[in-house]
Amino acid sequence: MAFLSNKAISEILYWVTRKKWLIISFILSISLFYFPSPEGLSSEGHRTLIIVLIVLILIISESIPLPAVAILILIMQVILGVDTPDGVASTFMSDAVFFIMGSLMLAVSIVSQGLDKRLALGIINITGNKTWRIVVGFISISAFLSSFIGEHTVAAMMLPVALSLIKNAGLPLDKSTRLSSLLLFSIAYGCAMGSIGTPSGGGRNVIMIGYLSEFGYGNISYVKWMLYTYPLLLLEIPLASLVLWFSFTPKQRHLDSAIRKLKVNVAKSGKLDANQIISILLFIMVFLGWIFLSPLIGLGIVALSGVFLYLVFGLIDWKEISHNTNWGVILLFGAAISLGIQMKETGAALWVAEKALINLEVVFQDATIVRWFVSVFLTSILTNLLSNAATVAVLGPIVLDMGGNPMILAIATSVASSFAYLTIVASPTCMIIHSTGLIKSRDYLKAGWKLFFISIVLLLLVSYFYWPLLR
Amino acid sequence: MKILIAVSSKKYSKPTLTVGMNVARAFKASTTIVDVGEKINEFSVKDVVMAQERIENWNIDRPGVDVLEWAFGYLAENNFIEKNDIEAGFPKNTLIDTGSNRCEVYLKGTVCDNVNLIIRNGNVIDELKHEVEKFFYDVTIIGGSQRRNMAHDLIQYIDSSIFVVNNFNLNKKYKILIAVNESPNTKKAIKYGVRIAQAFGVSIQAITVNETDNFEEGDNKAVAWFKKLLRRTNTSFDHKFLTGNTASIINNEASDNHIIVMGSSTKNPLIKFFAGSKPLEVMKNCNCPILIVK
Repeated sequence: MAFLSNKAISEILYWVTRKKWLIISFILSISLFYFPSPEGLSSEGHRTLIIVLIVLILIISESIPLPAVAILILIMQVILGVDTPDGVASTFMSDAVFFIMGSLMLAVSIVSQGLDKRLALGIINITGNKTWRIVVGFISISAFLSSFIGEHTVAAMMLPVALSLIKNAGLPLDKSTRLSSLLLFSIAYGCAMGSIGTPSGGGRNVIMIGYLSEFGYGNISYVKWMLYTYPLLLLEIPLASLVLWFSFTPKQRHLDSAIRKLKVNVAKSGKLDANQIISILLFIMVFLGWIFLSPLIGLGIVALSGVFLYLVFGLIDWKEISHNTNWGVILLFGAAISLGIQMKETGAALWVAEKALINLEVVFQDATIVRWFVSVFLTSILTNLLSNAATVAVLGPIVLDMGGNPMILAIATSVASSFAYLTIVASPTCMIIHSTGLIKSRDYLKAGWKLFFISIVLLLLVSYFYWPLLR
Repeated sequence: MKILIAVSSKKYSKPTLTVGMNVARAFKASTTIVDVGEKINEFSVKDVVMAQERIENWNIDRPGVDVLEWAFGYLAENNFIEKNDIEAGFPKNTLIDTGSNRCEVYLKGTVCDNVNLIIRNGNVIDELKHEVEKFFYDVTIIGGSQRRNMAHDLIQYIDSSIFVVNNFNLNKKYKILIAVNESPNTKKAIKYGVRIAQAFGVSIQAITVNETDNFEEGDNKAVAWFKKLLRRTNTSFDHKFLTGNTASIINNEASDNHIIVMGSSTKNPLIKFFAGSKPLEVMKNCNCPILIVK
């Protein structure tokens, strides 16, 4: 070390302490690589599982940037001999990735139109000034809108409405109160619940639809998906309202003056301008496209067509889309889907599914319960630690290889990945409300655990009694 | 000279600001006040930015701006900022994103040449390290923290002198306690200590500590240099040689009514990382403000 200056040594130490999980995962991957492949697992499958393990460690520890994790997935697939470069490239891009890319760009386009003030007026006209009605309104509108457009889009539009009400109610914006928690969680949980409503509600739904098709279990239409999930969503809304109300019952039972001030504020912005009207019309076209055209051209292409139209009509410029779109997430989901397909191709998913069935059956005594445990319980736990789309991308192939009714297991997995109620990192909407500084991490558990278990029970009941009727 | 003051909340940041601005005044330094907000998960970073832009569109400030607004007001109220520095400025609180989780903040109707306001998001140590590296601060001033390894990380990774404002009571009169020894950073520490003593209008107590009675020649030379400088600058002082464990003696002498000033260790960072250092030991256990000069 004599040839290094103290500053250089210090920098190396800093890097090592910050990247310790990267170093651990590197050592782990080399050690596991030289381990003999377990019985029944091909060497390619063995290597694919090494990549899955490393990726999970790196995403949870956040020791390297997400795009770097995405790139690492692609590199490792080739270096470890899981697939050829062309093979990896062909699994990287799919309609699901087009959809994630298109919906993130659509989110930027829609949010930039300033429709949030219109939305605020719409909500308060329906709810009036009673706090409980406002809460039910927030959850319902957030859930309804996020079932069609990305949940983060809805949260970004709803957040200023909630903060404005809190501010106008005379409460500080630098201190958490029951009212602030109540309104902000109404948005976050409403958005999370809503995202199961349609395939376009979340990238993970599209990822799962892609897997169903990839595994040869057929396609599911936009409306059919809604038939499966919307009743569950409608059941969740009143229950979530009750849970949130009793967890954060506010002193303020009426918000008269806050509503009045909000109305004045919104009135200042005038009527809908031409761009906002075109923007709404374009979104309706995209929505109709998802219903009627997606079986022919895919959900992703419809979303991208929407972005194309927003750009052509000059509603947004490319610079803004490019600046506000999270390209790292797109890369990561593309890479995660590619890894998911490799899990299927190499037999890794089947091996994990069989092992899970054999080992967990000892505990649960019934294969159906094991399938349910993996598709619902494991997914809902993992979604609170990772991202919901990444969870579905990794667990999807395993769930589909576990036998049973693949359609029910696939949709249950997708739905369970929306139970992101327990942690800040569970979903972008949880992070958005946390970024206001008004929500503490312990608040997520306060209401979240109740909603988490209610949602699991509801999903069990719906998947057991209602979904089989839809076949 | 440039000074970075890290604040976190209205409740706990008054001492940090007061000490920080007194130090800045002593060195005629330009000051940056930074609020480091919580880290935003990478999956959500763009979504959060989008939501915050909408919030600003409704004339609601994003978190952190209120703390900086309060800090700026506190400085003006306590005459740390010259009145003529405050002129008509931006029509509303304005944030300029300078990339890498960093925003410059311009408060409504105010402009002050010597004080910059910054918001950063992320791990405190990482953000302070990056801010210091990119903008070359000489001293980083931060409030005391209960966080494990905070003292270690500050000393080990931040490339500026570190002033930790532990348990500072605004109504109490503090003395300066300087550790004088043969270490290469002592001279700089003494100079800093003198300037701070002058800024606070207090006397200096200096100590030289050794494990045994046999003080090195270098220690004696350092003490001689210290005395000469203080006589020349007309600063009242008192010096004593003490024997025993350096860190314990410094902390005992400092108690809760001194501001400790000592030079940083020049040991190899690898040794410091595993075995620690005297300044680190003092910083971990002291019950008063401490400045480690690098």
